[in-house]
Amino acid sequence: MLSALIWVPVLGAVFIALLPESLVARTRQIALAIASAVGIWTIILASQFDVGIPGLQFQESLPWIESLGLTYQLGIDGLSMPLILINSLLVWIAIYASDPNINRPRLYYVLMLVLGGAVAGAFVAQNLLLFFLFYEVELIPLYLVIAIWGGARRGYAATKFLIYTAASGVLILAAFFGLAIISETNSFDYDVVQSQVLPLTTQLLLLIPLVVGFGIKIPVVPFHTWLPDAHVEAPTPASVLLAGVLLKLGTYGLLRFGLGLFPEAWTEIAPWLAWIAVLSVLYGSFAAIAQTDMKKIVAYSSVGHMGYIILASAVATPLSLTGTVAQMISHGLISALLFLLVGVVYSKTGTRDINVLRGLLNPERGLPLIGSLMVVGAMASAGIPGMVGFVAEFIVYRGSLPAFPLQTLLCMVGTGLTAVYFLILINRVFFGRLPESLANLPRIRWQDRLPSIIVTVLVIVLGIQPSWMLRWSNVTIQAMGMEEVNRLVQVESESTRLAETVGDSESVRRLVESTETVPLTSMTNPNSIAFTPGKEAASDKSTEPLGDRLIDNSLPHSKLKPNI
Amino acid sequence: MDFANLAAQLNTGVILPEGIVLVTLMVVLVGDLITGRASSSRWSPYVGIAGLLAAIVALYFQWTTTTNPISFLGAFNGDALSIVFRGIVALSCAITLLITARYVEQSGTALPEFIVILLTATLGGMFLSGANELVMIFVSLETLSISSYLLTGYMKRDPRSNEASLKYLLIGAASSAIFLYGVSLVYGLSGGETRLSAITTSIVANNGEQSLGVVVALVFVIAGIAFKIAAVPFHQWTPDVYEGSPTPVVAFLSVGSKAAGFALAVRLLVSAFPMVSEQWRFVLTALAILSMVLGNVVALAQTSMKRMLAYSSIAQAGFVMIGLIIGTDAGYASMVFYLLVYLFMNLGGFACVILFTLRTGTDEITEYSGLYQKDPLLTLCLSICLLSLGGIPPLAGFFAKIYLFWAGWQSGAYTLVLLGLVTSVISIYYYIRVVKMMVVKEPEEMSDAVKNYPEIDWKLPGMRPLQVGLVVCLVATSLAGILSNPLFTLANNSVLRTPLLTPATIAPPASGTALLDQPSIHSSNSTLGG
Repeated sequence: MLSALIWVPVLGAVFIALLPESLVARTRQIALAIASAVGIWTIILASQFDVGIPGLQFQESLPWIESLGLTYQLGIDGLSMPLILINSLLVWIAIYASDPNINRPRLYYVLMLVLGGAVAGAFVAQNLLLFFLFYEVELIPLYLVIAIWGGARRGYAATKFLIYTAASGVLILAAFFGLAIISETNSFDYDVVQSQVLPLTTQLLLLIPLVVGFGIKIPVVPFHTWLPDAHVEAPTPASVLLAGVLLKLGTYGLLRFGLGLFPEAWTEIAPWLAWIAVLSVLYGSFAAIAQTDMKKIVAYSSVGHMGYIILASAVATPLSLTGTVAQMISHGLISALLFLLVGVVYSKTGTRDINVLRGLLNPERGLPLIGSLMVVGAMASAGIPGMVGFVAEFIVYRGSLPAFPLQTLLCMVGTGLTAVYFLILINRVFFGRLPESLANLPRIRWQDRLPSIIVTVLVIVLGIQPSWMLRWSNVTIQAMGMEEVNRLVQVESESTRLAETVGDSESVRRLVESTETVPLTSMTNPNSIAFTPGKEAASDKSTEPLGDRLIDNSLPHSKLKPNI
Repeated sequence: MDFANLAAQLNTGVILPEGIVLVTLMVVLVGDLITGRASSSRWSPYVGIAGLLAAIVALYFQWTTTTNPISFLGAFNGDALSIVFRGIVALSCAITLLITARYVEQSGTALPEFIVILLTATLGGMFLSGANELVMIFVSLETLSISSYLLTGYMKRDPRSNEASLKYLLIGAASSAIFLYGVSLVYGLSGGETRLSAITTSIVANNGEQSLGVVVALVFVIAGIAFKIAAVPFHQWTPDVYEGSPTPVVAFLSVGSKAAGFALAVRLLVSAFPMVSEQWRFVLTALAILSMVLGNVVALAQTSMKRMLAYSSIAQAGFVMIGLIIGTDAGYASMVFYLLVYLFMNLGGFACVILFTLRTGTDEITEYSGLYQKDPLLTLCLSICLLSLGGIPPLAGFFAKIYLFWAGWQSGAYTLVLLGLVTSVISIYYYIRVVKMMVVKEPEEMSDAVKNYPEIDWKLPGMRPLQVGLVVCLVATSLAGILSNPLFTLANNSVLRTPLLTPATIAPPASGTALLDQPSIHSSNSTLGG
């Protein structure tokens, strides 16, 4: 089942590589067909996916290399299902949005398909080494795509991407090694390493390289410098995939391996993570304001918006984790949309400089549809209600506020700043008089419009009906968060006891304060998650399904483990 | 001592593979004289390859049937470890022969002699892998070395080749002398023992557990070994020799000769120096760290492909040494596995370099730019081999590195493993630089060499074998990692079935256990023999 997600694109890539010369002209159609097949398969999987099971589904397990503890173990749960969906969608869109007359089509589509397959593999791998393998496989295809089909400084950007990501891989591998060595079986299987109980210092020692490793990938400030370069130089489809799914590997890894394996240490570093999130959000937003290249603006907005995910995952309550999933989907769609649109503008006008472009919204000679979609995308990104960005950011803030009020408030400033830089962009590029130099733009074809339209529709539909994107992960996240909460309860009672015995130890008191959170009550009484009507009435629609689920499922308040 | 008893003690069947190589060598040498130059250069590579494959088959039979491995009164040990290393040396020579023919042909020198010298070097390497006695070690080491000097200077009209040969000879002779001096110290300290298995007991009996003399001898011996495996700081000859010598020779030196050096290192250090195992581990750790750092960092700055591969091979030796240093079962096994994989990826890389040199006459990295347009197979093969050397999944090199680092981590060699991981990232940079040159550059950025690239013609004499060698390495490099179970089982068995290494696995700083075990092996030998 799940293997098809990996192997259909990979074998398709091999097939394309071996195509006879007479069929090379049809490479694009073949690649699209393969991507469509993967997409349909993903939809079938999604339709069979039981949202009521918190653990892994469609599991596959084959022995591979026992001496290394490497098994071919796949499984999908509510955390990875939405990401797989978005991956299949964006791979299709990226291939569809590729220039039909691209240079060296065979190599290009081979690399794109391998990239898609490897990312899917990383999302479903349930063995640490297997995850690492897929995580590294994705490196070279993207490097080559940027280096061959990229912009002027593509060599520099591609190499920078490669070195940064390879460094992140090394950190992750070191953490995985460290973890597996402690488990007596020397196994890298996720369920095996998860089941062991580690002392706090060990957890911290392993978690920190992991956080830095995934932090490079996400990327968080100060490891973010590769991203704007890579985005600016990458061709549009690569940017779409990079922002849409590849960055999600980092946040997915943080949740799956950081929070999932080192829950106690996670609470220890959670405040730091929240501050890192603040730094990323504010730095990304301010840097975006200062840019003149459209693509750089979107790239820096990516840095900022990925920060929200870190903020919410630091809190790690069910509500905030729901926020992370929502924000991953929302950022995946919105950034893909924005990159697609910027790509169209660039391909038609030949520049991305917001000081040069003007008046593109001109209904006759400009790019009216593209401009309108850009406005929608900017609104979604800035969190205007009715679109997916609002839902995601609202849940993120609602989930994070009780635990880290100050950090959350600072992150909210980022949402405001998003509006600032996108308004600047739209105002300069799309409003005003179209100068003569920009008249007579090449015709827009349906092929330019269709990908953006599909994504826009999704952005709006999921904004109106967010339960369609949250239903996949609700139960899984409750299970994850449930562990979290139980632990919080435990820590609290322990630390209270400590506080009683130790007296007025400052650190202990702080720990108690930090753990005395709203989600505690919210979990013991799911209803309390419902919002006070007057103040947040606007949000009712978006959050209701979530509340409903929380009640409906009425899970036992015991520690839930994925049922393997 | 009657004849039957003597025959049993000599146990000559163990060196059957070497015998086959020797016969092959003679056939090529005499056949060349009889049939004349023109025809002999056509068939001699195939005879050589056939002989080597026959030797590998003989090794396989030795592997499956367990006989007494000690032969020639303890001078040669045909245990599982030596079988694997002899196999690696023979296989590397076979692949080198595949990629040699056209190169030597085109350079206008005689092919049969080249093959004879190469086979002699292989013979030396194979004997070195099983040598169990100091005189035997030195003789086979010199057989390997002197043949290597001859091979490096084989292009006698090329001044660079002459320079390389002279440099190699001078530094090699010096290091041989140092090694011999160390060996003589061991000989003296042990009261005249030459068999490795007896040395330890004698030294302890004569000098007690710790002795400064042993440490001094150890340092000299390690200097000799480090020269052979090109570990920093005994590496200075490598770049110059690699750059100047004929490329097939470099291919053999970087794989076959290096593997023999590692076999020597394992046998000599583990069996003769267990009482100073902490010291030699410490020295080797320093060498490994220096090799990994210097090899990988200096490779960044190279402009010549062969020099870059020279530094890369120094760095790779550093990685392999991790397996030797940690001295566990898994460590030795992953070292053997790494060498097996390294054989294919490095020889594959050199096969591509040879092919490129044949077609363009240059080996500057910049000259590779835009190659994909003219020669997709060469581009693919070189890219795969280089990425595998850099440890990119799912290629064989990735798995080899993971095995090695995981074994290192398991035994607590955190510094070495972390350094290995970091330097692997550095190495990706210079490997990918070549890939970028070949794959990324647009047609208009094509180098002159590539612009004038000749028509690809596999029908020229000697090109078919080169193609076969290329494809074999390509397939092995792509699949040996994913399907690494059988290979790793082989590597693992070679360690488990070697009595020499088993005591070391029980207690890594194995002084006590090894001391107890050595005499028992020795006595069982004599009972079997007598």
